[in-house]
Amino acid sequence: MGKDTKKVSGTIDGRETSVPRGSILLRAALDLGIGVPTLCHHPGLPPDGNCRLCSAETGGRLVASCLYPLRDDGFVVQTRSPLVVEARRFVLGLLLSRAPADGYLLGLAGEYGAKADPRLADGADGCVRCGRCLRACRAAGSEAIALVGRGWGRKVAGPFYEPPIDCVGCLACAQACPTGAIAFSEEPRSIWGRDFGLARCGSCGAILGTPGELARSGVEVTLCPSCRRREYSRAVASLPPAQS
Amino acid sequence: MASVDLNLVDEILRTRPPEPRHLLALLQEIQARFRYLPKEAMLAVAGYLDVPLARVFSVAGFYKALSLTPKGERLVTVCQGTACHLRGASGLVGALEKRLGIGLGQTSADGRYGLESVNCLGACALAPVATVDGTVHGHLSPSKALELV
Repeated sequence: MGKDTKKVSGTIDGRETSVPRGSILLRAALDLGIGVPTLCHHPGLPPDGNCRLCSAETGGRLVASCLYPLRDDGFVVQTRSPLVVEARRFVLGLLLSRAPADGYLLGLAGEYGAKADPRLADGADGCVRCGRCLRACRAAGSEAIALVGRGWGRKVAGPFYEPPIDCVGCLACAQACPTGAIAFSEEPRSIWGRDFGLARCGSCGAILGTPGELARSGVEVTLCPSCRRREYSRAVASLPPAQS
Repeated sequence: MASVDLNLVDEILRTRPPEPRHLLALLQEIQARFRYLPKEAMLAVAGYLDVPLARVFSVAGFYKALSLTPKGERLVTVCQGTACHLRGASGLVGALEKRLGIGLGQTSADGRYGLESVNCLGACALAPVATVDGTVHGHLSPSKALELV
């Protein structure tokens, strides 16, 4: 695919900008210093447009800015128009209904005047179904968990609602979760109802990861990074002096 | 639970090349032959297509046409669209539930009947309507509905 070097110009919140064609709106806004709230977005993972918090208005309609490519010259985008603010308030109410104790969401809810819907209280399990954990799992090299079911009953689970057999215990999902909804233990290692052994540095005993995680990386590791550096410098120091 | 005929699963798998895009088609075919998706069959599909088991299960749980528990040999579907509702669909459901001893979405203990509702069959002129294995029966009353099972 040839590189598209053509630039397109337009305005975001009235500020003129010029970006390479196809740039993602969220990125362009952030580059201008315009703050756009996000939740399911993670810079290291493919965007999914699930949480709708980053909604922006262009051409009279709402778009998810984390997915929206700026293709045409003369784009006009509002990230704080009344339409956007109202949509964001509604979305925040839904997200809060799932994760009513999340500090980040509570902060935004205060800003936008959003409240959790008491009718949805029985779904308040802390998970907002944004799928960041699944994307992290896939990016890390497994696909152990998935969103299962439809509608209100949809939730993140392993196959057959059992502890996921393809999980290696790397905790990438828990780390990626924006609301901290995934229960885990670092040491001893357990997550999704499964326990994992831990491989340790042969020199200092620091945790290297689970055996499955190390096997997935395809690189044989026996020392932690700092011990590896020390061993390497020792090896270099004991080399015979170079012949000149 | 009766053991799953893995030869039949194998036979179904071999009707398609092992490409991930055939996931849904294979699950549909397994559903048609077994009336549900046995766990063993899903494991076989994941292995055959080299698709993560989590994705297979996610697809299996998403579609209403796919079932994780055995469906009845004969499926009775009662329309609950507006016209049928007004003409007494709830009476049909009540009578069928009582006769079969199951609720909507369940399968009778002997595995012979499954009872489901549908939001509209598009046969409003025949309201209230139910289907048995896809055959439409119109102008039903609770007693006529019981003659179907």
